Amino acid sequence: MPSWPTRSGLPPAGVITTLMITATILLWAAPRAEMDPLRLFRSLPSLLDFAGKILVMPEWEYLPRLGQKMAETVMITILATSIALAASIPLGILAARNTSPHPVVFHATRSLLSAVRALPELVWALVFVSAVGLGPLPGVMALALVTMGFMPKFFAESFEVVDPHPIEGVVAHGANWLQVRLYGYLPLAMPDCIGTTIYILDHNLRSAAILGIVGAGGIGYDMVMAVRLFDYDRLLLIALSIYFIVTLLDRASDRLRAKVT
Amino acid sequence: MAKINMCGVRKTFGNGHTALKEMDTEFQTGTFTVILGPSGAGKSTLLRLVNGLEPLTSGEITVDGIPVRGKNLKKIRGDVGMIFQQFNLIGRLNVMTNVLVGRLWNRPWLTSVLYLFGREDRAIAEKVLMRVGLAEKAWERADRLSGGQQQRVGIARALAQEPRVILADEPVASLDPVTGDNIMQILREICDRDKITMIVNLHQVDLAKRYADRVIGLNAGEIVFDGTPKLLDSSILSHIYRRNSVVKETTPDALLAYA
Repeated sequence: MPSWPTRSGLPPAGVITTLMITATILLWAAPRAEMDPLRLFRSLPSLLDFAGKILVMPEWEYLPRLGQKMAETVMITILATSIALAASIPLGILAARNTSPHPVVFHATRSLLSAVRALPELVWALVFVSAVGLGPLPGVMALALVTMGFMPKFFAESFEVVDPHPIEGVVAHGANWLQVRLYGYLPLAMPDCIGTTIYILDHNLRSAAILGIVGAGGIGYDMVMAVRLFDYDRLLLIALSIYFIVTLLDRASDRLRAKVT
Repeated sequence: MAKINMCGVRKTFGNGHTALKEMDTEFQTGTFTVILGPSGAGKSTLLRLVNGLEPLTSGEITVDGIPVRGKNLKKIRGDVGMIFQQFNLIGRLNVMTNVLVGRLWNRPWLTSVLYLFGREDRAIAEKVLMRVGLAEKAWERADRLSGGQQQRVGIARALAQEPRVILADEPVASLDPVTGDNIMQILREICDRDKITMIVNLHQVDLAKRYADRVIGLNAGEIVFDGTPKLLDSSILSHIYRRNSVVKETTPDALLAYA
């Protein structure tokens, strides 16, 4: 008779409690979110129908416009991520417990970042579209802003786990506040920060791909229109091109990560 | 080139542990002092207080008459170099940059933000790297070097700031005996040639005997021996290394075998 490695042979009390609480929450939440297995099951034929429809001959004439719109999407991604990156290093320093000049600054920066994150990029994009008009510009602004909401938080967490001993080596030689951060924390946290940036680049590409829904540039507008107008031949091409670019980014980031240790 | 004065120095940590109790001593210019004592005796704390890495609880430490506290810290740290057991280099930066960290105290902030250094800083860094025999490793990443080489980079970093005092916290504890002896030779040579006041924490009695001008025995935060290394015999060593204030009657053969 097998048993768990505890005194009583039963699973630990903590595990049992956690599982029971999780199960209770799920059972309570599922009907409220209209999680109905039967409904899903009954919709299976139409889902299969969609899957069948998307496997059609691609609309090749759409290629030039697709290329242009995808290029725009990638540009939005790169611009927004770069702008956010430039702001995130100083913001990250202010938002990390061990590098912030004062606990008040630390808490204030963290709250500011959460506040920016409170609205998703689509909503920010709507705000900027109404402010500056249609096109990729509001898209870049919205995406950069939201990225500034979470990128510094990731950076701050990387600064917080830096080994304090090498930092002391810099401090002990009379480096000032800023120099300790630039010659100590920054190089030590660099591999982590590069990993984060690559992940965010990937995430932002997907975000940029839907910004067009609200008229903020990129492939999003065409994608939504293709779904609404049942242009599956066009949707297939869009999906493939997003997949292609994300895979490309993945490969590039793997190589970069292997180099930066 | 600097005299260190400690007057009524006391250090109690936040958890109530008193690491140093009412210490009065001074370190003369250009002398080589080794501090011996069991782990937890307060050796590291003593060095960290001189550099201001830990604040004093009470008393005063002066380096050439300047008290180690508050506004003076930047100036003091510019005069006092430090060498660590774990080298404490920035492993991802190259050797040259690590050595130039020793010049930062003297650099304007704007150019140091861009990692820019003056010609004279570069010349100093090259000179000290030559001195520790690592000129050809200048462009390698610091973490690619062996332990002994990394410690020599640590020494070069301390030298680059043109210090008047060098504090070394167990500089050879992570190194093999031959490499450790080599490091001690370099430190002794620096002390003799540049008249730099050297304070070195050690666990190796034999090295203390060979290189020190003066040995301080520290136990439970108090100086229990202060004299020339010649005076170190088995009874004094067992006094320095006694546990819980109970003098062990057994002769520390293991220690003497080392010595």
